[in-house]
Order: sequence, then C-alpha cells, then structure tokens
Amino acid sequence: MSALRLQHIKRHILPENKQTMAGALGTLTTHVLNTGMGVPAANIALVLYRQDSSTNAWTLITSGATNDDGRCPGLITKEQFTAGVYKLHFETAQYWASMGETSFYPYVEIVFTINDPEQKYHVPLLLSRFSYSTYRGS
Amino acid sequence: MAAAVSSPLTTHVLNTGDGIPASKMAVTLHRLDSELKIWNMLGVGTTNEDGRCSGLISQEAFTSGMYKLRFETGSYWESRGQTSFFPYVEVVFIITDPGQRFHLPLLMSRFSYSTYRGS
Repeated sequence: MSALRLQHIKRHILPENKQTMAGALGTLTTHVLNTGMGVPAANIALVLYRQDSSTNAWTLITSGATNDDGRCPGLITKEQFTAGVYKLHFETAQYWASMGETSFYPYVEIVFTINDPEQKYHVPLLLSRFSYSTYRGS
Repeated sequence: MAAAVSSPLTTHVLNTGDGIPASKMAVTLHRLDSELKIWNMLGVGTTNEDGRCSGLISQEAFTSGMYKLRFETGSYWESRGQTSFFPYVEVVFIITDPGQRFHLPLLMSRFSYSTYRGS
C-alpha cells in the first residue's frame, strides 16, 4: 500500500484530524491536482481573499499551502465564512518551478460568489503546465 | 480580399452547459506594466455568434510580457436569466515569444470552467 494511501487512511482515523475530515471547518475547501503528472499538487502556496462589498478591495482571510494530498484544511472558519465574493489565488508557476518546469500561467486566481454560507463549497483546481480547470464540486 | 494578418492572440468561448458557443460575451485584454505593476487595458471585444473574439491585439502591439484575458461570464449568464458561481473569469498568462500564435479557449458552464493553450 502506498505511503500516500496510508496517510489518507490515517487522516480518517486519528482524533486530531477527525474534526477537519468531519468538516467542522469544512465550509470552504479546495483540492489541487497536478493533471500533467497525475498526482496531488503538494506544497502549493495559496491565499484566500474576500472582497469588501463597499470598497471592492480584497481582504486577506488565510494564506497557506496544500498538504501532500493537495488539500488545505482550515481555509476559513464558520464565523468568517459570510456571503460575498471570494478569491482563491494559487502560486502555480512557483509550484512548477520547484520541479524545474516552466508554465504558461504565472498564477491562477479563481473568483466565486458565496450566496449561502450554510452550504459546503468545494472549489478544486485541476492543473497542468498549459491548462487548468475548476468547478463547484463536493 | 484584405491582406490583414489575423490576431496573434485569439480566444473561443464555449458554453458547455448548453453545448453552444458563448456569443455576445464581453472580453478584455490587459498587459501588466512590469515597472508600475498595474494592468493596462489593450483591447476590448465581444464574442461573435461562434464564440470567437478577433482583433483583440495587433501583431505590432503584441510584445513579451504578462497578459490577462478577462471574460465577463457573470454578465453572460445574467443575460440568459441565470445565476452562476463565478462573477467573471480572469486568465493570466506569460508570453515569452510573441512570434508564436496563442489560442486561449474558455470552456465554461454556470458552475465550472477550463482553459488551456490550444491552437
């Protein structure tokens, strides 16, 4: 069984990770996949912003990086997660450069609207050096 | 026939939710001023019946640099009486060899989109 698979199972079992997997903080989640190589995009830096509805300026909510599974738990707390326009910024070129590769996009930004913060929103990013896609998932 | 050279940068927007080209969508092209770190708008257009937008930039103006294509996807869905998850889509890319041709399609539905360097 691969180390990655063991890690994934561990996250389901161990108590300190249970809260994250149960989704107490899981109101907004992301998952970055490196589709060029068929692996999760680990250690990719990302920043979550919310737009101030009066000034239109972007307020930084969280900055972090994806884990070995390409996920970033704890992006936002339930209290912080209010209706509004959000932006996820991914440092994709930095990620490819760390593997000695160039890429067409210096970074990827995804702007989305949250109307009902009671729902769960999963915004994955499927990424290769010359393409990317995103969608509202689950 | 006009001897015009076609735009070195082209796009094509497809409405994958309905399986049709996305026509009448506003698209703007910007280039980053590398010193001032601000975006300068270079061209504005609207996609035609085939979802294409030509003439965003001329060969002469097309220099190396960081560019941004902004698609007014939210307005598009609104004009069709529908909501969508993304208010707009911005694709930022780097051109190192402006002698090449760059085709950047956008495949989009109300809840998803994808883009790639095509031909």
